[in-house]
Amino acid sequence: MTTRARASAPEQRTGNPIRDSALARVPETVDEIVTLNSAVWKRSLVSPALLEILRLRNARTVNCVFCKSVRYEVARADGLSEARAAMVDAGYEHSALTEREKLAVALADGYLGFPAGITAQLAQRLAHEFSAEQIASMFVALMAFNFTSRTAVSIGGMPEEPLPVVLMALADDD
Amino acid sequence: MNNSASPNSLDLDRSLVIAGSPAASFARLWQALWVQPHVAPPLLEMCRLTLARLHRDESELSAANPHLEPGALNSARRAAVIAGQAHAAADFSSMEKAVLQFAECYGLDAQSIPDETAEAVKVQLGEAGLVFLIEALGCIDGRIRTARCLRDLARLAPVPGVS
Repeated sequence: MTTRARASAPEQRTGNPIRDSALARVPETVDEIVTLNSAVWKRSLVSPALLEILRLRNARTVNCVFCKSVRYEVARADGLSEARAAMVDAGYEHSALTEREKLAVALADGYLGFPAGITAQLAQRLAHEFSAEQIASMFVALMAFNFTSRTAVSIGGMPEEPLPVVLMALADDD
Repeated sequence: MNNSASPNSLDLDRSLVIAGSPAASFARLWQALWVQPHVAPPLLEMCRLTLARLHRDESELSAANPHLEPGALNSARRAAVIAGQAHAAADFSSMEKAVLQFAECYGLDAQSIPDETAEAVKVQLGEAGLVFLIEALGCIDGRIRTARCLRDLARLAPVPGVS
């Protein structure tokens, strides 16, 4: 991973982490990316804790140092303690995560595979636990999380060593 | 002939509309990719084909892109991209080769994109163009992945409303 940033963030700060990143260099897309992030957290059809599980599994796979260190307050308030967040790791199948939470991890792994894909067993389990709308909602969230984390990794400038965990509130215009 | 199965990255939004406003936002972002000043639609389509080739996704490779003007990407250039031969083809510009090389590296491992590959894009497109390209590749790749998963779900465990 390159530790030298390939694009710079704007000097003027807004307080929104997306607008204060190199993504601000592209005015044609930055407003919609801010809207998308807000919509995923505020209007998805699954709980914030499930969203955070999807996000953390993606962050682990993409190896986005920043994404791995962040915890969204809204998910913490929804019951995803640090101890439970730590279960979104190797061996999650045998952890104390609920069936729906384990399925969210498995769905993320299917999406993040190369090539992506869903096994017959996982398809049956997903159909038993989630509605069509919820499955679609989780895919939109996964796309948003994966797209932003891979963008961060590709632009570079991240430290190689893990960062301490930081709680993040949704930004004012989120 | 278009042998693509739905959904694919190009018609995915029809399948995701049931997810509500987040899906609508992602659909608007997708539309915005095709009307910006940084990367022309035919080159963006070649990026989509590059990622589809890496995913070995026949449905994507055979899908017709509605965002392109008729004839905007001729069959020889399309075939060269699908064969992974664009880098050696004489009728690809330096800019096209730089962008497609970046797309290839991004698709294989976004963490391992060489600095010189990124710099070559930056020389051609500028800093904003590089950031846009990275965003676009992320959107395209995500849509290819989601479409593939939804096709699996429709085949293996059909759920009313998911297609």
